[in-house]
Amino acid sequence: MNVPSRLQPFIAPGLFIAPAAIALILTTAVPMVDAVLLSLQRWNAMTPAVWTGFDNYVRLAQDETFFRALWHTFYFTVCTVILQTILPLLIASLLNSGIRGSTVFRTLYFMPVIISLAISGLLWAMLFEPNFGAINSMLRAMGLGAFTPLWLAGTNSVMPSVIIVSAWQSLGFYLVIFFAALQGVPKDLYEAATLDGAGAWSRFMNVTVPTIRPVILIVVVLNTINGIKVFDQIWVMTAGGPNYASATLGTYLYSIAFGAMGASNSRLGYAAAIAIVILVLSIVVSLIQIRIGRRRDLDAQIEV
Amino acid sequence: MTTRSTMPGTARIGRAAPSSPWAVTFTRTLIYVILVAIVVVEAFPLVWMIVTSLKDPHEVFNSVLPGEIRWQNFPRVWYAMNFPVHLGNSLYVTGLTVSLVVVLATPAAYAFARYRFPGREIVFYAFLGAMMIPPQAILIPMFQFLKSLHLLDSLNGLAFSFVGGGTAFAVFLMRTFFLSLPRELGDSARTDGCNDFQVFWYIYLPLARPGIATVVIIQSLYTWNEFMFSNTFIITPGKKTVQSAVFQAIGQYSTDYTALCSGLMIALVPVVAIYLILQRQFIGGLTAGALKG
Repeated sequence: MNVPSRLQPFIAPGLFIAPAAIALILTTAVPMVDAVLLSLQRWNAMTPAVWTGFDNYVRLAQDETFFRALWHTFYFTVCTVILQTILPLLIASLLNSGIRGSTVFRTLYFMPVIISLAISGLLWAMLFEPNFGAINSMLRAMGLGAFTPLWLAGTNSVMPSVIIVSAWQSLGFYLVIFFAALQGVPKDLYEAATLDGAGAWSRFMNVTVPTIRPVILIVVVLNTINGIKVFDQIWVMTAGGPNYASATLGTYLYSIAFGAMGASNSRLGYAAAIAIVILVLSIVVSLIQIRIGRRRDLDAQIEV
Repeated sequence: MTTRSTMPGTARIGRAAPSSPWAVTFTRTLIYVILVAIVVVEAFPLVWMIVTSLKDPHEVFNSVLPGEIRWQNFPRVWYAMNFPVHLGNSLYVTGLTVSLVVVLATPAAYAFARYRFPGREIVFYAFLGAMMIPPQAILIPMFQFLKSLHLLDSLNGLAFSFVGGGTAFAVFLMRTFFLSLPRELGDSARTDGCNDFQVFWYIYLPLARPGIATVVIIQSLYTWNEFMFSNTFIITPGKKTVQSAVFQAIGQYSTDYTALCSGLMIALVPVVAIYLILQRQFIGGLTAGALKG
């Protein structure tokens, strides 16, 4: 081939990478730029779009429902980060305490992880049904009839209910990650701590937690990113309701863009502006992850 | 793993004091009780779903167990919810997406792992960046884009919308895998007269099978379970994937929990069956995917 020699090193890798790069440009980069542009326009997909500059963002800043959605996203994220880090870590520690059958337990705990968020949402919506759903029926049978919340139907109980479903579904996933990390903690650290008279809790706090700190950070970051993006299960269970009591950025965006399907008042530019808010939040978290995530430590520590 | 129980001073949570045999037995029992209780909590919704799917519609709210096991719920829902079509749609979209992702990502990952060229880091970080883009951010433009290509309401269009994110992730996973393969193999093949493509095709690709398998598992599960794009980009009921079809069904069967549970069961069977066969690969692949991604 007659190729200038300075281009020589690019040919082979270029050919290998080009198909993937083109796919990425078409299905990610172009829509991404498009979303940014769209957020600067007023458009209902019927009449031609109108450039409005930052008008959509200005209106977001005055939109009470947007701030409720932002608050619910924050609330969901903080609660799931806490629950979905601490519970799996504690249970993984129990599993790693030298008991038999840890493989069986892990397999069982992992079951809900492979179920789609949509299906688990539909399943829990039935369990949570306030009048004859299984959970309230059980509470009544146990004599706790006074404590039968409305779950998904109540404006105060809907967010905790959604968080319960998330914790239920993701437990096995984070547990397996923590279990793998715990297996990598050197045993002599525990021996030394035991010789120094450290009890179980003290060994957990002073040996386990510091040693697997990078993995804890990764789990926190994964949970945070999933929290910012939360959509499927909430949309399936409540569609953001009742009366926006479980609206998150994801569901609010969706109900604006597609809620009234085909209706000419769907405000696509406005929805795109919410999409950009989600994007910016994700980028911020990802940048934090890159700063704190020392991947070499991780790779050395984890052999799943 | 088995040696741990004979080793002194392991991470036994319950050995607070230099303990008597009784204390050891007690804490051990306590640990088992807690672990089993969690199994009950984790399994309860699934067991409830199985039991309800076998009940008579009239006894759903009246009895805990079905008076008589009604297998006929499954054929009823199978046809009423048009499952053969939806399962076929999901299978098609999943197969197409996974094939595209593997074909696109494998050579790219190989090049990122094996070649040094100016600008490599920048291009790789662009791929990484694509992985972090939340699907909501591209939902609306993708909708319009598919519409302009006449790929809206088409399973091919849906698969196309999954390719970007999937490829970025797969490149990242596979690159780590290719980095773990010895460089000498390629060097010696090259001195034997193989060109760049032959080195990739005959030497490294066969060795990359475990890495490809991980990508196939993660991408299949992700595509099969995906809800937001499939619920938005597919409009015709007969083209819906399983996830959005069961979601549509709640409107029609809102109080018929027997039918809904049977439907969810049918929707879950493919995934659960493959999970039970390939548990190790599932658990390993998904967690490795999360950690390295």
